[in-house]
Amino acid sequence: MSGETGRELFSSRWWLVLATLGMAVGTGNIWRFPRVVAAHGGGSFLVAWVVFLLLWSVPLMMVEFSFGKRSRRGAVGAFARLAGKRSAWMGGWVALTACGIFFYYSVVAGWCLRYLGAAAIGELSVRSSEEVWNGFAGSGTAVLFHLLALGLAFSVVWFGVRGIERVAKVLIPLLVLLVVTMAVRAVTLPGAEAGLHFLFSPDWGALTEPHIWLEALTQNAWDTGAGWGLILTYAIYMRSREDVPLNAYLIGFGNNSMSLLAGIMVLCTVFAMDPGAEQHLAGVNNEGLTFLYMPRLFEHVPAGGFFMLLFFLALSFAALTSLISMLELATRVLRDFGFERRRALLWVAGAGFAFGVPSALSMPFFKNQDWVWGLGLIVSGLLFSVGARRFGLARLRSEVINGEGSDLEVGRWWSFVVGVLVPVQAVVLLAWWLWRAAGTEWRQWLNPFAEGNAGTVLVQWAVALLALLAANRWLARRSLASGLQASEEGD
Amino acid sequence: MQTIDWLMMALICGGVWGGFAVLLVRALLSEGRKRG
Repeated sequence: MSGETGRELFSSRWWLVLATLGMAVGTGNIWRFPRVVAAHGGGSFLVAWVVFLLLWSVPLMMVEFSFGKRSRRGAVGAFARLAGKRSAWMGGWVALTACGIFFYYSVVAGWCLRYLGAAAIGELSVRSSEEVWNGFAGSGTAVLFHLLALGLAFSVVWFGVRGIERVAKVLIPLLVLLVVTMAVRAVTLPGAEAGLHFLFSPDWGALTEPHIWLEALTQNAWDTGAGWGLILTYAIYMRSREDVPLNAYLIGFGNNSMSLLAGIMVLCTVFAMDPGAEQHLAGVNNEGLTFLYMPRLFEHVPAGGFFMLLFFLALSFAALTSLISMLELATRVLRDFGFERRRALLWVAGAGFAFGVPSALSMPFFKNQDWVWGLGLIVSGLLFSVGARRFGLARLRSEVINGEGSDLEVGRWWSFVVGVLVPVQAVVLLAWWLWRAAGTEWRQWLNPFAEGNAGTVLVQWAVALLALLAANRWLARRSLASGLQASEEGD
Repeated sequence: MQTIDWLMMALICGGVWGGFAVLLVRALLSEGRKRG
């Protein structure tokens, strides 16, 4: 506890930044970014990716930091308090979507730990990666590793902000060191230049294709953590004199710096070991790249066993630090409802285990949840924009973003981006993804039992939305009733 | 690698990593001022 206010707080700005960076840097940076950039024009895609860092991620991070710092409540309470009691359901949506992801993300973290173990005992040099994956994915062992990942995150959140801070201090610098070491090793492999060429070679014609921009926006929406409600949760524990805008820029650029390093690490290794990688990368998915393709390549790298161990260690660190933030988000929402921290955590972890089991046992179910709640994040981003409008964009900017502790003056452009551009981006992105899901199978498009179409998204969203709207008054009352860590800033 | 690839690499890496480094220095200076 800090002596400053008697509240639970991060003891320094740097631990807040490290913990938030740990939240933002997840498996998406390591297993999705290199694959997506390789499939969408290399250097040209990167230009669009940097543009959307500034037009989506950083402005939304400022909204999240402001909501957490000003309201001192979790997602539900923050919306109820700042956007009005009728907006509690919006915070509910943000929390529900983050939980939907948390349930299967724990399974992903379990996969990373399983492969870390396999790399550590040399199993991957004896058995092929396909053999290991096929014997593991969807089995009871996957459930055990889901439990292990959840248990590790649980043991950190049990100790509150102090636990999160201590782990961030160790894991994030180690993660950076691991990724830098592997990126340096990758670029010094014979033939690695082909990977750099593939990553940075510009195809200017690609910038005239709308899908390149939409993929770049999607990558920013999914891997920076902006609009998830996680930054809002950590911002509850920032000191009153802490800055908002510079921290948002730092985390946005820090996250994308890590993505770039991961891109160099993965693509240089891939092209050095497999000159025909372009074709292989086109058809591979996230799990395929990470758990099937990469282990095969490491076999041919000098001291490959050691570097494979480092790769899965980095992946596990990235997954666990993100999982910790998801666990804290849900715990914080329950605490606002009046639960004591450890009791709330027990409920959240229990639910996390139970709801994660179907994803651990069934890949189609896992992919369905990834599709439904991954898209739900774009709605969350939209709701943050709506919430900020309801509070007053100019007021949020002057009273919180440029308020006490601010290191940067944010201009009116921010109000335009959050009030106009973010909703436009969200609507276009949603329409595009749902349209794309149609493919050629229009009759299947609205089938609610399909794995990845519009029907399954709309039905699951509708159920969630109806429940949240029906419970809106209750959500507002419960999340505002508790005096827990009420804002001391006079709002 | 052609010249344009190197230029692109310098532009993107310089922009993202350089941007991060500049922001970090600014935050360090600001923290120093706040403590001083």
